[in-house]
Amino acid sequence: MPPPVGANNGGNTPDFTLSSQQEEKMNRRQMLSTVSALMLAAGLPATVFAQDAPPTQGGTLNVGFISDLRTMDPLQSTQWTERQILFTIFDRLVDLNPDFSLKPGLAKSWDFEEDGRRLVLHLETGVTFHDGTSFNAEAVKWNLDTRLDPNGNSSQRRQLEGVIESVEVVDDATVAITLTEPYPPLLSLFADRAGLMASPAAAEKWGEDIGSHPVGTGPFKLGEWTRGSTLTVTRNEEFWQEGMPHLDAITFNDIPSNVVGIQRMMIGELDYIGHLTPLDTKLAAASPEISVEPSAGGQWYSLQWKWDSAPYDNPELRRAVAYGLNRERINQILWEGEGVISNGFTPDGLWWSTDDLADYSYDPDKARQILEDAGLTGTKLQLAAPSGDALRRFAELAHEDLNAIGLDVELAPVPQSEYYAKTVAGEIRFTPMRWTQRADPDGLIQYLFATDGTANSTKYSNPQVDEWIYEARVLTDQDARKALYDKIQKQISEDLAYMPVGFSREFSALRAEVKGYTPMPDLIPRFRYFWKDGA
Amino acid sequence: MKRLSPRMLLGLTLLVIITACAAFAPMIAPYSPVATSTNVLGAPSAQNWLGTDQLGRDVFSRILWGTRISLQVGAAAAVVAVLIGAPIGLVAGFFRGRVDFVLVQVIDIFIALPGLVLALIITAMLGTSVLNLSVTLGIVTAPTVARLVRGQVFVVRETLFVEAARATGAGAGWIIRKHIMPNTMRVVWAQFAINVSLAIFTSASLSYLGLGVPPPAPDWGGMVRDGSMFLPLRPALSLAPGGAVALTVFTFYLIGSSMNDAD
Repeated sequence: MPPPVGANNGGNTPDFTLSSQQEEKMNRRQMLSTVSALMLAAGLPATVFAQDAPPTQGGTLNVGFISDLRTMDPLQSTQWTERQILFTIFDRLVDLNPDFSLKPGLAKSWDFEEDGRRLVLHLETGVTFHDGTSFNAEAVKWNLDTRLDPNGNSSQRRQLEGVIESVEVVDDATVAITLTEPYPPLLSLFADRAGLMASPAAAEKWGEDIGSHPVGTGPFKLGEWTRGSTLTVTRNEEFWQEGMPHLDAITFNDIPSNVVGIQRMMIGELDYIGHLTPLDTKLAAASPEISVEPSAGGQWYSLQWKWDSAPYDNPELRRAVAYGLNRERINQILWEGEGVISNGFTPDGLWWSTDDLADYSYDPDKARQILEDAGLTGTKLQLAAPSGDALRRFAELAHEDLNAIGLDVELAPVPQSEYYAKTVAGEIRFTPMRWTQRADPDGLIQYLFATDGTANSTKYSNPQVDEWIYEARVLTDQDARKALYDKIQKQISEDLAYMPVGFSREFSALRAEVKGYTPMPDLIPRFRYFWKDGA
Repeated sequence: MKRLSPRMLLGLTLLVIITACAAFAPMIAPYSPVATSTNVLGAPSAQNWLGTDQLGRDVFSRILWGTRISLQVGAAAAVVAVLIGAPIGLVAGFFRGRVDFVLVQVIDIFIALPGLVLALIITAMLGTSVLNLSVTLGIVTAPTVARLVRGQVFVVRETLFVEAARATGAGAGWIIRKHIMPNTMRVVWAQFAINVSLAIFTSASLSYLGLGVPPPAPDWGGMVRDGSMFLPLRPALSLAPGGAVALTVFTFYLIGSSMNDAD
């Protein structure tokens, strides 16, 4: 299931595990109680942390994943699957807690100055890159300037330009960033790809080939990479956080499908596979050596239409679809009833979650009536059916529901690898879609719903919503922001920019000896914290 | 009338059964082939003889209805192959010389390409639908028909009755229609049956690759693919439609090869 470039790209990275820096300052009991508090905050099962024995050192973790790796250069990376590996080789400037609040990363602390127009980062000292060069303010400046370079094509340039005016080295351990306007969400961008710090010396040494020779400050270094087969990262003995990492190496193995992955896991070739559907877990559940853990939240599933073009520009048609989709049944069939149906795009449990949304409970008679009254009965629609199993099944179920209310829907198969690009290009006008959650509401909301949003492929446009979005993104007061995001989300649900369906349920399968796994709301596992019992 | 060979008899019996499944699918099938249910990946039971698939649809009903699609695609593809291949073979074989040389080169190029690869290229250009699939598979199998007809024409055009017709001043068109065509038909019919089986097989392969009949149509190749995700858990999801493909291909192959052997 390779997610499309763009879609799924932005899931910011709430980091649910305590950094070692904090571990050092706490004894075990304190740590457990802090962890429990964090878990309660996130509503996650406590079993994950019920581990008494100290982590075993050593061993190799074998991860199975459906690979579409292109580059290991964090400045260029776009593929979602790349991030789980980048997060082992590189560290981020800022880290995240499970409630999406910020915690220190390579930056120990930070201050906003000049009414939020200047961000000062105080860096960790004594940190070195894998190539022996030191991590300092110059390196941070190089990382940001290179991302902003109009001649470079960093995948994060569009996020940062227009926000960052200049980057200044104050001293070896202090960087000051001048902003074009106050923009608090910048810190959560630094907690994702834009905050991954790469070695400037390595970039100079390898030039164009840097994507095959990543050099970071992280707990693991790149070992061997056989494209299309395996990628191995090995322990960084010089890692700056004491006692980390636990594993000697992690090997990422390319698998053609989850079912093959589970089979390889049963015979002990693999230790971990993520992104399993409830159906996939039926296979894994048969084996006593494998435990199946639910992910924290899932991806947001929706039906996306071209909002500004006929017939989708007709609010009555959109309303009919909204009432005609049997979302509970879709949940039953796709996710065994374990998904969460929602009228919005924000899952429960985040600070900007809201229930005050337009409600579209299933009512096929009403849907039929709306179509009839508007003279839309029998309207022909073409719904894309991407070849990836999850989206195609979803399309088939939507097809059945919508034909039942009097629409004439035809399924148009399209290769999974092409459907997102075709949707952006406007060739596909009605399609199942999915996105992962981001650490700041501005991430997804501005991205998808602002008239000039980077990924606004629905062409949704509401001047009032635009005004609110740009008002909310520069506020520092969270309550004031929340009030605006409540209004924005309600308006978007009334306008039916998308037909929201709900949040999927995903699982990870682990062999029993694998420890240290914590479900992440962005669905990206943090392998740096893993260890293997008795390795 | 000659007695049918046992092989032919077996082939025809199977054909009758398969055709009956296709014709009476709406009456025999216990459920709609596209109606989903919340009984997802159900085990085989008294209600669902072969279990249910990943969207809770009855696998037995889908296989029965799938017979229709397979026969449609197979037969339509074989017709297209004859419509394209036979005229080319007739012209090449009858006129020989330069015309033959050029046509044979083209035919050989197409035969040299593996059928599945060729079908993949054409499907990518045409898009997926039952009609496009039939045309694609027809184009893929047409060169074989052309080759075969050409060879048969070589034999027939040297016979005395053709020579006699030519002596009486008959034109090429008349000779082809009256003498050559009727005498090549048996080979064409035999190849027709074999092409049906080839087309069904290739269409299942294309569907397996996700380039066949669009969902939610009950299509055997697609069913094999979807089922393969759950093979260890519900083997019937893949094996049953796979068996249906094998049986149908076998049937048409039996018929075709028996026709070739018969005198």
